[in-house]
Amino acid sequence: MLDYYLRLALSRCRQNVPMVLLLVLTMAVGIAACMTAMTIFRALSGAPLPGVSPHLYVATMDAREAVDQDSPDYKRPDSLLKLADAKALVDAHRAVQQVAVAQSLTQIGQPDGSQSAQAYGLMAYGPALQAFGVPLRYGRPWTEAEQASNAPVIVIDTEVAQKLFGTKNAVGRSVMLGRHRFRVIGVSAPWHPRVQMFDVQHDQGTVMGQAMMFFVPAQASLDAGVGPFLAGECGKDAAVASFQSTQVAQCRWMEAWVRLDTPAQLDAYGPFLAGYANAQHDAGRFVYPPQAKLYGTQAWLALNHVVPDDVHLNMMLAGGFLLLCLVNVAGLLAARFLRRQGDVAIRRALGASKRDVFVQHLVETGLLGLIGGVLALPLTWLGLWIVRMQPVSYAAAAQFSAGVFVILFGLSVGVGLLVGILPAWRVCRLPPALQIKLA
Amino acid sequence: MHPILSALKHHKTTVVLVALEIALTCAIVTNALFLIGNRLAAMRVPTGVADNELVWARTTGLDLGQGTRPGGDSAADMAALRGMPGVESVASANSLPLSQNYMSVGAWRRPGDKKDALDNVVEYTGTPGMLRTLGIKLSAGRDFLPQEYVPYDPNRIGGGVKTPPPRVVIVTHTLAEALWPGENPLGKIFWLDSEGKEPVQVVGVTDHLLNPRITRYQGADRNMILPVTRVSGGVYVLRVKPGMRGAVKLAIPKVLQGIDPARMVQAEVYTDTIADYYHGDRAMVWVLLVVTGCLLALTALGVVGLSSFWVQQRTRQIGIRRAIGATRRDILRYFQIENLLIVTLGIVLGSLSAVGLNLWLMQHYELARMPLAWLASGAVVLWLLGQLAVLGPALRAAAVPPVVATRTI
Repeated sequence: MLDYYLRLALSRCRQNVPMVLLLVLTMAVGIAACMTAMTIFRALSGAPLPGVSPHLYVATMDAREAVDQDSPDYKRPDSLLKLADAKALVDAHRAVQQVAVAQSLTQIGQPDGSQSAQAYGLMAYGPALQAFGVPLRYGRPWTEAEQASNAPVIVIDTEVAQKLFGTKNAVGRSVMLGRHRFRVIGVSAPWHPRVQMFDVQHDQGTVMGQAMMFFVPAQASLDAGVGPFLAGECGKDAAVASFQSTQVAQCRWMEAWVRLDTPAQLDAYGPFLAGYANAQHDAGRFVYPPQAKLYGTQAWLALNHVVPDDVHLNMMLAGGFLLLCLVNVAGLLAARFLRRQGDVAIRRALGASKRDVFVQHLVETGLLGLIGGVLALPLTWLGLWIVRMQPVSYAAAAQFSAGVFVILFGLSVGVGLLVGILPAWRVCRLPPALQIKLA
Repeated sequence: MHPILSALKHHKTTVVLVALEIALTCAIVTNALFLIGNRLAAMRVPTGVADNELVWARTTGLDLGQGTRPGGDSAADMAALRGMPGVESVASANSLPLSQNYMSVGAWRRPGDKKDALDNVVEYTGTPGMLRTLGIKLSAGRDFLPQEYVPYDPNRIGGGVKTPPPRVVIVTHTLAEALWPGENPLGKIFWLDSEGKEPVQVVGVTDHLLNPRITRYQGADRNMILPVTRVSGGVYVLRVKPGMRGAVKLAIPKVLQGIDPARMVQAEVYTDTIADYYHGDRAMVWVLLVVTGCLLALTALGVVGLSSFWVQQRTRQIGIRRAIGATRRDILRYFQIENLLIVTLGIVLGSLSAVGLNLWLMQHYELARMPLAWLASGAVVLWLLGQLAVLGPALRAAAVPPVVATRTI
């Protein structure tokens, strides 16, 4: 039966080609707009580190040590800590894993100065590679003993290793970082969070995660003259962001991330964090009530609007656009079906049930939807290409993928059936006798 | 009941679909046009500096609170930058309009009286020649005198002697109005610093100088300029012949690394900085324009399709009307009025949802309330669109000859 309906639908499509083109193109444009927006939305709304970041929490507190007349209120949660506080939280070992990090941008070179590469990386206190699940290709992460003795050790990624040494396995070699020579103890696979998650309060405008090409113990890096990319908060509200400063003793510049796997661990860590912060307040270091709070990665990114509002706005626009396309197509389909009331009347008179007529028309609209989907495929590709050409911060998220293809296929058939329901219901509602009379 | 209305009652499904379509278009298009208007207005605001002649650079070593050698390294850097071909003048500033990094402080109308202070005033600091280099134009008063530049460092940290701010300041018109509405600000004094005890006197007013970032708290151009001898954590600004900007930008890292090879240097042409600041807005405006155009086109096509269908369906009835005396004009009018009724129904629904959508957007995004004039313009656009779309089918209907009445289809 389905086969017959399909052949019927195809032959009808051939009868009025311009109308059919209008219908399928309308659907195709709507689907393509929606798919383009959805692709970007999906790429940006997922976990920054799949499987890892859902268990990661960032510690926030009002850790200001001087009265700030200009902004005495703690308007929004602040994740920046002084190195001393970050160390204290990490050394307490109260979470499954804990690490304090800051981003850095510097030159990494061969000791003889013959080769160098500009690289983003993380300065860390604690087991950064383990806590963020950075895959190691060769070697090992640094040990607590190495960190405690400020040993100049570093983990670089395979791309830096390849560039400097011509081989990925650079374990045991030395690189220059700032003024000091660092021993490469590990080589990581290329790694970046899918969405920016570090320093999101200050590094506004960055959406896609930055590839981290080296990992280095924070104190050893400071000793070598390499500081964080942003000096953070050094006293006043919205301090001028300095660039790679090592004069950070007075600044809050590190973020403490902790891994907590179970609700029980989360419940236990909150009070510990509040207790630590309150103790600093009671001791007179933090001048304001600290209001310490843990934020899950997703909540933290949402709070700081890492994914631009425009992406959400685009998603809604595309949804509205698709909706309009659907209403439009439904109207045209209603007209198209009602025009054929005569055929339907004859079928009904010959014994077809309402259900048969309904299914027949749904098959036709489903087919139209499918054709629309096929046309939407190149249009979606085109839409994503246009987005990639834009100088917008999320351009790199506009990638065609298998998941997109599956959703597009489902969406187009769904759209085809959805727009058909009302017109098909309308056409099979009239009693056959009246339809023959009308015809 | 009027015959047009009673005829419409027989086509509820299609009437509802067309009205819905118009309503949706109305809701989305009015809000989209409002968004476009807002963003274009924001992008058209001039920065207040010589956009097309500036290049800036920042480097490590311009450190926060390092202050051990006042003016030391940056003087050498600036001398080297001044020697570059194509560079007319060089100054250093803590920030530039639309460059994102800003510092904001409180301005006190009375010393030490927090209740009479204005918060969130953006503070620019610059070294001698800053106004000339940036091309900031004064509408009243004068530029700073050489002896007025002082070693003031708002970011100074830790020990050492705390230096007071300069005694003179240049303010924007907006800041002057906020401090002393309607008064001549020249010569007036306000107080700075966290205690509000350091007086500064206004010596100049600039009509307009944009903030490094436009925010809800700091506004667009409520700021002041302080004369300092050395800027910590800031940028070097170079006034360059427009044609030489690219070459200067490329040459800067070499020049600065010639002084200290281990440092990181970032240089950028200022127009790129502005373009960067607005790139999101520009992309959004294009998206909104394309979507609006597509929506209107789709709606028009939908109306054409359905009107054509109705004309075809009613050919016989039209023939009968013609046969019993209706003129072509009557038939044309009939379809035009019918379209007007349906579109009006859609616009009423659409205006309500447009206001609802605007309220919802206001709640979730930083957006202003849409003036009702936008609704009116949206309505006019849709009425015109509807009439244009129905014209073709209606003319075809008017062309139906009376003889059709005598035929059976």
